[in-house]
Amino acid sequence: MEALQEASAGYQKLQTDLAILVDKRARLEAQLSENEMVKKEFANLTANNTIYKSIGPVLVPQDQNEAKGNVETRLEFIRGEMKRVESLIKETEQQTEKKRTELVVIQTNVRQSQLQNPPA
Amino acid sequence: MASTPQQINIADLDIQQLAEVRRQLEEELNHLTNSFAQLKQAQSKFKQCVDNVQEVKPKNTGTTILVPLTNSLYVPGKLSDPEYVIVDVGTGYYVKKTRDEARKYYSSKVEYIRSNLESLSETIQKKQENVNYLINVMQTKIGEQTQSPAQASKSNP
Repeated sequence: MEALQEASAGYQKLQTDLAILVDKRARLEAQLSENEMVKKEFANLTANNTIYKSIGPVLVPQDQNEAKGNVETRLEFIRGEMKRVESLIKETEQQTEKKRTELVVIQTNVRQSQLQNPPA
Repeated sequence: MASTPQQINIADLDIQQLAEVRRQLEEELNHLTNSFAQLKQAQSKFKQCVDNVQEVKPKNTGTTILVPLTNSLYVPGKLSDPEYVIVDVGTGYYVKKTRDEARKYYSSKVEYIRSNLESLSETIQKKQENVNYLINVMQTKIGEQTQSPAQASKSNP
């Protein structure tokens, strides 16, 4: 019975971990697509289109190339993070799968012992 | 949360499991319809922008406008530069564009969202069909069980 409790607690923890990671990935995905949109927008600008960056409540003019470079680095960073989170998710999924089979084995054991020695 | 790797025929599931699947499907459906509403909202915002940009025209140079400082506080201002507007392109960047460019930008946004809405509504429809099918199966199962409770309890130990 203790083993069952332990296993299910571990399983639950893994599930919450997984949920957090999936959430993180969704957020990264949103950031990625937003930055990609900005990059696309920057790609077809002319010299007349001044770029401003909002720093707090003020808009500061910024060099086009600098802004492009900034977005590029951000994209790279986000992609790196995505990869990291992705591999973490995979790992956690595998662990969850393992825990689940473990849990099923324990449950069947418990059920069988209950069947053999039914509680009075 | 964790996806089941093997395919399961829903006719093989018992009522409790079906209810669980139904709950999950409905959750997904809810999420999708929420996204749909949000996209719709974003689209109408961009549409408004297209209209607004059209109002910033040379004819209106020097016209007095009210500039909102807060939700309820306005100061009078004058339109001094009818040629350029500054567009928020996301992630904290703003771009100075001519009116025509801005209009194109917002129109393309509206179009982009429209295509997204289309595919999303397709997904929603499919999900809805799934839910309906599931409910159908559930109802038949419940009907079977109430008709022959003795047999049902034998076949579902």
